[in-house]
Amino acid sequence: MRTTRSTLGTALLCLLLLAAACGQDEPAASTRGATASSGAGATGTTGVAEFPVTVTDDDGFEVTIPEEPQRIVTFAPSMTEIVFALGLGDRLVGVSGSFDDFPAQAQEIEQVGGAGEFGVDPNLENVLALEPDLFLTIAGGDPWKEQLRDLDITVVTFNATDFDDLLDDIGRVGVVTGAAEGAEVLVAEMVAQADEIAAAVPARTTCFFEVYFAHSLTTVGPNTFIYDLLERAGCDPVTADAASDYPEWSVDELVADAPAVYLVTAESANSLEQIARRPGFAGIEAVANGNVVFLDSDLVTRPGPRVVQGLAMISAALFTTGD
Amino acid sequence: MRPGGRRYRTVIAVLAALLLASVLIAIAAGSVQISPGTTVRLVAWKLGLAERPDVPVSTEVILFQLRLPRVVLAVVVGLALAIAGTLFQGLFRNPLADPAIVGVSSGAALGAIAVIIAGGGGLLGGLGVSLAAFVGGMVTAFFVYRIARVGPAVNVATLLLAGIAVAAVISAVMSVVMSFAGEEIRSIYFWLLGGLSARGWTAVEVVGPLILLGTAGAVLLIRDLNLVSLGEERAAQLGVDVDRFKWQAVALGALLAGAAVSVSGVIGFVGLMTPHVMRLIVGSDHRRLLPAVLLAGPTFLVLADLVSRVAIAPQELPLGAVTALVGGPFFLFLLRRERRRASARA
Repeated sequence: MRTTRSTLGTALLCLLLLAAACGQDEPAASTRGATASSGAGATGTTGVAEFPVTVTDDDGFEVTIPEEPQRIVTFAPSMTEIVFALGLGDRLVGVSGSFDDFPAQAQEIEQVGGAGEFGVDPNLENVLALEPDLFLTIAGGDPWKEQLRDLDITVVTFNATDFDDLLDDIGRVGVVTGAAEGAEVLVAEMVAQADEIAAAVPARTTCFFEVYFAHSLTTVGPNTFIYDLLERAGCDPVTADAASDYPEWSVDELVADAPAVYLVTAESANSLEQIARRPGFAGIEAVANGNVVFLDSDLVTRPGPRVVQGLAMISAALFTTGD
Repeated sequence: MRPGGRRYRTVIAVLAALLLASVLIAIAAGSVQISPGTTVRLVAWKLGLAERPDVPVSTEVILFQLRLPRVVLAVVVGLALAIAGTLFQGLFRNPLADPAIVGVSSGAALGAIAVIIAGGGGLLGGLGVSLAAFVGGMVTAFFVYRIARVGPAVNVATLLLAGIAVAAVISAVMSVVMSFAGEEIRSIYFWLLGGLSARGWTAVEVVGPLILLGTAGAVLLIRDLNLVSLGEERAAQLGVDVDRFKWQAVALGALLAGAAVSVSGVIGFVGLMTPHVMRLIVGSDHRRLLPAVLLAGPTFLVLADLVSRVAIAPQELPLGAVTALVGGPFFLFLLRRERRRASARA
């Protein structure tokens, strides 16, 4: 899937150029990022976001951003991608780690992650040294977020739970970074592409998504971001009645469920033989028929601008394999 | 070597210099370097003795809110673990004793985990967890002590064995408890791995006084520790209330270890190694041993924490792994050297 990166990069670049070109016009598309309120009438009429801006983030904190942020730290690859897609890459002074790998320029930016007992927390000293005026991240990490707030860092959490929520979050990232218009254009583009993919679905099919396999099989429940993408791409996962977000799924049940297509991240498995060799897996209809699709997980697990590419990838795979 | 002997004074001076040097290096080094000069000028400014030096605000915040509290915490936790180890080793007359082996550390960790699972992680602003760790450590210490107590006498071998058995049971209980944990699993692992990252001044304020109190108590027990090391009967003949002494030593050890675990999780080898190494250098007279341990324990933990912070910055290594990686081989080397010497003498 690595080879698709450059094409995707080109696609994104086109999208960015388009966004820049449309920047002067009043966007006709939906203004989904409107849950934020700002100083004097930042309704998009003037075309310039006005600060201070106050938002209630997804951790429930009311955060005020006094001025347009110039030094941004993103602590999640998806946030890094959103900030770049909004054309604010040059304001990024810190990212989380080596997995902040898209676009390529993100790899040049200082990494602040890897501290804490599990190596997944930001290194507070590094964050402070960068003197950021905005720290953008996703859900989780409440203890270190508390510490960052105590150190007077402006922490804003946006956590996309499904595609619509992602569009909303991109709009809000636009508002807090002073790039509301660019965000509206980006959102409109994503909506258009998602609609196009949805319209092209010939007939719904059933599927199963493997997150990883290590003695037991882990999949996605109905309240996850990936599940929403699968549905939008045109398939009904057989895990609709799962009780948790990342449940373990028994192979017996999967044989009985008989999904038409078996989707798996390229990180979890990379060949049909590898999957068929696992005990019991040959009995799964999709595996027996060779309807197994390997996905670039970055495109489906990162709630960022590239999920529309992920949607296209899933949809294309669903309706070109097997039968 | 007498307590006031010249060589002993040199050893103490060297240990004190090492502690000072390691503290200064630990304050200076990190993912952001702060020169000792800047530190001194910033501290002088904080104390109102000088103008604010021309440094970024971020440097000031890093120094006062992250670096200093962390180094100070390493000092007090190192002190607590080393003194607790000295007490347990003196009490059991066994160089294998330390807070982890006697079961106090596991008890403390279990106390903390129980509160986290019960959803009390935020209780009393996070202090609830520390309190539970402390109580868990004390309860385990006395439980183990009671098991080993037959009539008026306490059997040291039984005490050690009971400690090991209780620690094993507790770790099994923790495994069971953890399989019920969801999101809390991260904060649970912290208690098992140990670490000092981002505890802030609150942790120092909470356990600092307790640890100083415990250390003072240990100093008061020096005479009894020395007499008991001659043998319990001998000590009793010399007027030591042996049972009372044991009770006091266990309580103090649990206080110190519980306080340390409550802010840092389980960190091994400091309590085991520090007193042992110091005993090789200054001998086993507690009048000489305790001051040496008092300086060496903090030095060990400050340096270990420094390694954990800077070795692969901006990432951090687990502190418990560093103390074991540094301490384990060194300890084995010393043991081997001692055995060689012993056999050469024989």
